[in-house]
Amino acid sequence: MRALAAETSKLASLPAVWIATAAGVVVPGVIAAITASAALGAIDRGPAAIAAIDTGYQELAFGVVGAIILGVVAVSSEYVTESADSGGGRQITTSLTAVPSRLRFLLAKLSAIAISSAMLAITAAVTTMGVVRVVLGEHAPALGADDVPRLAGVACYWVYSALLAAGITVLTRHGVVPLAVLIANTSVVSVTYLLTKITPLANYLPDMAGVRMFIRKLADSTAEISPLTGGLVMTAWVTVLLVTAAISFTRRDA
Amino acid sequence: MTGGDASRSHVDVITIDNLVKRRGSREILSGISFRARPGRVTGFLGPNGAGKSSTLRILLGLDRATSGAALIGSVPFAKLPDPLAMVGAMLDGPGAHRARTGRAHLRWVARSAGLPRARVDEVLEVVGLTNAASKRVGAYSLGMGRRLGLATALLGDPEILVLDEPVNGLDPDGIRWIRTLLRERAASGRTVLLSGHLMGELAETVDDVVVVNEGKVVADGTLGEVTGAYRTLEDAFFALTTGAAS
Ligand SMILES: Nc1ncnc2c1ncn2[C@@H]1O[C@H](COP(=O)(O)OP(=O)(O)OP(=O)(O)O)[C@@H](O)[C@H]1O
Ligand SMILES: [Mg+2]
Repeated sequence: MRALAAETSKLASLPAVWIATAAGVVVPGVIAAITASAALGAIDRGPAAIAAIDTGYQELAFGVVGAIILGVVAVSSEYVTESADSGGGRQITTSLTAVPSRLRFLLAKLSAIAISSAMLAITAAVTTMGVVRVVLGEHAPALGADDVPRLAGVACYWVYSALLAAGITVLTRHGVVPLAVLIANTSVVSVTYLLTKITPLANYLPDMAGVRMFIRKLADSTAEISPLTGGLVMTAWVTVLLVTAAISFTRRDA
Repeated sequence: MTGGDASRSHVDVITIDNLVKRRGSREILSGISFRARPGRVTGFLGPNGAGKSSTLRILLGLDRATSGAALIGSVPFAKLPDPLAMVGAMLDGPGAHRARTGRAHLRWVARSAGLPRARVDEVLEVVGLTNAASKRVGAYSLGMGRRLGLATALLGDPEILVLDEPVNGLDPDGIRWIRTLLRERAASGRTVLLSGHLMGELAETVDDVVVVNEGKVVADGTLGEVTGAYRTLEDAFFALTTGAAS
C-alpha cells in the first residue's frame, strides 16, 4: 500500500524518530544495568536474596517513553510550521494532497506507528533482557514459557502507548503538551499512579491497566487486574481515543 | 485526435462554482466562481486577505466549503484516483518538515504515488536544487523553499498545476525560469492556475485573469479583456480592488 510506504519513509527520515528509538532502547537498558547491579550486590551479601520477578519488565515499563515520543512526533511533525523564511507552510498540506482520503491517510500513519513501535519494543526487550542476563549471570531469573505472553504484553503495551500518544496529538495538533504530559507521567511523577491512591478506579486508566499485561507485582496495588483484563481495558481506551481522533480529523479543516 | 483533445480538456478544467466559506461569523468567500482551462495560464489575483489561498485550499480538499463546489474535471480533488498525476500543488511554503532533507521530502511524496526514485532526482534537476538536495529544509532560503514546493508539484508530471504565489521570493532569474516553465506547460495543453498579488511579473505569464477582492470575483476574462481600457494590468488591478475610478 503506497500510503503506508510513504508514512514509513516519513518516519525513517525524521531525526526525532531516531531520538525516540534511542530513548526506547537506552532508557530501559541503562536502568536494567543499574538495578541488576544493585540486585547482584544484594545477592552477593546474602544468599536469601533473589532477583525479583519483574526484573527487566519494570524497566521496559519505563522504556515506553520511546514509543510515546515516536507516536507524538509522527503526528506533530505534520503540523510544525516551516520557518517564516520558507513561507510558513505545514507538511499536512503535502500529505493530504498526496493522499486526499483523510481516513486512508490516518490509517496509514497509525499503521506505520504501530509497526515501528512494535519493532522498537522487540529491540528494547531483547536489549534489556540481555543486559539483565549479562549483569546477573547465573542469578538472572530464567526465561521460560511464562515469559512469552509477558513479552507479547510488553510489545502490545508499547504499540498501544504509541497509538494513544498519536491519537492525542491528532486532537491537539501540537506535540509539546502531549509529549510533556505523557513523558512526565511515565517517568517523573506518575499522576495516574498517584490517582490509584485516591480511587481504585484509576487502576483502569490506560497505562495502569496496560502494565498488568507484563508486570506481576505492582507496588501497593489497590486492585487485582489479570493480564488479559488489563490488555482489554487498554484496548478499549485505544479504540475510543482513535475513533474520536479519526472523527475529528476527517471533519475539520486541515 | 480532436475527440481525444476534447475529452482531455474536459478532465483538465478546474471549475470553481459559487464557493462560500464562513469562519465563525465572518464570510471569507462570498460566492466565488470561475474556470481555469487547459492550454492556458490563469492568474488568480487579489490583495492580501482577498481569499485566494482559502479558495485554493478548498479546491485541494484541505478545507471544506460552507457551500458551493470546486471540481477537477467533474470530480472533487479528494475523489481523484491518482491525485499526484492529475494535480500538482504548492501552497504557502514547500509543505515539508524542516528537519528532513529536500530529497527525503520528495522521496516520501514519490512513494505515496508509486513513483520511482529516479523521478526525484529528475525534478530536483528541473528546479535547480540538485546541489541543495541533501540539506535540511530548515536551512533553505525562501526561494529554495519555493523551488522545493515546485519540485513536489511537478513530481507526478501532472495535467494541472495549482500554485499559490509561486513567484514570491524568487530572484529575477527564478521568475524568468518559472514563467518559461508555466508557459511551456500551457503550450503543451495543460492547465495552470496560479495566485498572486500582481502584476508586472504575472502580466507576461498569464492568459486569463480572475481578480478577487474581499471574497468576491471583481473581474474575470482574458488578459486583454481585464486590462481593458487601463494602461496596464496593474492599473486595472488597483482600480478594481480599491474601487477607484472605473
Ligand atoms: N485559518 C483561518 N482562520 C481564520 N481566518 C482565516 C483563516 N485563513 C484565512 N482567514 C481569513 O480569510 C481571509 C482570506 O484569507 P486568504 O489567506 O484566503 O487570503 P489571500 O488572498 O490568500 O491573501 P494573501 O495575499 O495575504 O495570501 C482573510 O481575511 C484571513 O484573515
Ligand atoms: Mg494567500
